[in-house]
Amino acid sequence: MSVNRHQPRVFVLPEDDANRQMANGFTLHWSLIPRRMQVLEEAGGWLQVLERFKTDQVVGMSQFADRFVILLIDFDGREDRIQEVRAEIPEPLRNRVFVLGTLTQPEELRQALGTYETIGLAMAKDCQEGTNATWSHRLLSHNAVELDRLRSQVSPFLFRETPL
Amino acid sequence: MRFQLDVQLNGQMYVYSIAFDYPPGFKELRVFEERLAVDDKMVFSRDKAQVHLATKSPEKEAKFMIDWHLAALPIVQEQAPQDPLFIFRQWLARTVILRPIPSLIKGNSEQETLHPSIDGTDFGAWFSGLLKYAPAAYGKIDTYLKQVMPDIDDIKNPVIGKESRSLEVQFSNKLGSVTIPFADLSDGEKCFMICAMVLATNDSYGPLVCFWDEPDNHLALSEVGHFVTSLRQGFQSGGQFITTSHNPEAIRRFSEENTLVLHRRSHLEPTNVRPLSDIQINGELVSALIRGDVEPYER
Repeated sequence: MSVNRHQPRVFVLPEDDANRQMANGFTLHWSLIPRRMQVLEEAGGWLQVLERFKTDQVVGMSQFADRFVILLIDFDGREDRIQEVRAEIPEPLRNRVFVLGTLTQPEELRQALGTYETIGLAMAKDCQEGTNATWSHRLLSHNAVELDRLRSQVSPFLFRETPL
Repeated sequence: MRFQLDVQLNGQMYVYSIAFDYPPGFKELRVFEERLAVDDKMVFSRDKAQVHLATKSPEKEAKFMIDWHLAALPIVQEQAPQDPLFIFRQWLARTVILRPIPSLIKGNSEQETLHPSIDGTDFGAWFSGLLKYAPAAYGKIDTYLKQVMPDIDDIKNPVIGKESRSLEVQFSNKLGSVTIPFADLSDGEKCFMICAMVLATNDSYGPLVCFWDEPDNHLALSEVGHFVTSLRQGFQSGGQFITTSHNPEAIRRFSEENTLVLHRRSHLEPTNVRPLSDIQINGELVSALIRGDVEPYER
């Protein structure tokens, strides 16, 4: 058996190990359908995330209209990084690409909220329940616009309403 | 040689340990020490052949002798279902240890069981046993399998002899329908079936501990992550899933706080176990593992 490439799917491109672990936590929420989200190998830096997106994802996203990508990066204190990243995404795909991440470094978030998996799990809970308990943290609140887009476009196929 | 299990059950810490020695002149190992304690209170202890049972009045010591080649744990009688001994043994009995060999799993059964064998060859008996114990488990099995194999229609377990049954799986889509004997499923498909059973088992009579040795074997690379995530997700609400793996994708589906690195310098030394979070990793984890740079020993 192999995955059905025509099913809606989200690929997560994490910048580093900390972001990968947060994405792992996100996938552990009971309501997330595992086959709808695939966390990929960490890229090693936000510029590398962008490079990996261009080399690995652009063709596939052009072929499959239900394919979405989350670029999970560190903003390193620069909220304007999102414009820099989004400017590099081909216009026809821009609506299906989301740029999310910690305002500074995930390590700072871990000191405040617990392990990376715990944080990721709490983020998924917020997404599924339509709350902002974790996403409203000062290191995450800058994601609000992207998060709204993600919720409206991805949540409907990513989460189930009743346990498996 | 000493083994110890530390288990938190219903908010209490159960500690069971058993130690063996190999005295000169002996032809097999001897149990020289064994004990079970709950929150540091002794339930029973054993010194070679002598077993001591805890009683409510300390002056009335209960003790008996036992063959020193036998473990006392399964022999000591519990008083009631609330007895710590009963609780611990029931938890231990619900442990599922898997190292499946799919090519040997035929799906035939002559009896029912809730305790699958390590190699999974009694899958048919496990399937029959689970559905007899909890018929609603079929819904969970079906839901999981439909995500992985959308064309699966039904699993049947017809009688094929006087006291035997044989599993078969029906697939259908707009082209028609086909029924395949369980034995003829691919190795990966059999692993999906086992995964469905593990999830349904934990749901039906868990929480259980499931140890699965290299669950990524036999799976397509695109399936490994979903497979491991499904198992981890299924145990989030209760029970414990433990796995070993050499597969990069399986390793990446865990994080530093729940990954242990096992390493043995030689066949003459014990395996060294350290939390990944205690080990200095330079760069990406899988890359460091490939380079052989994940050194689990204290420097």
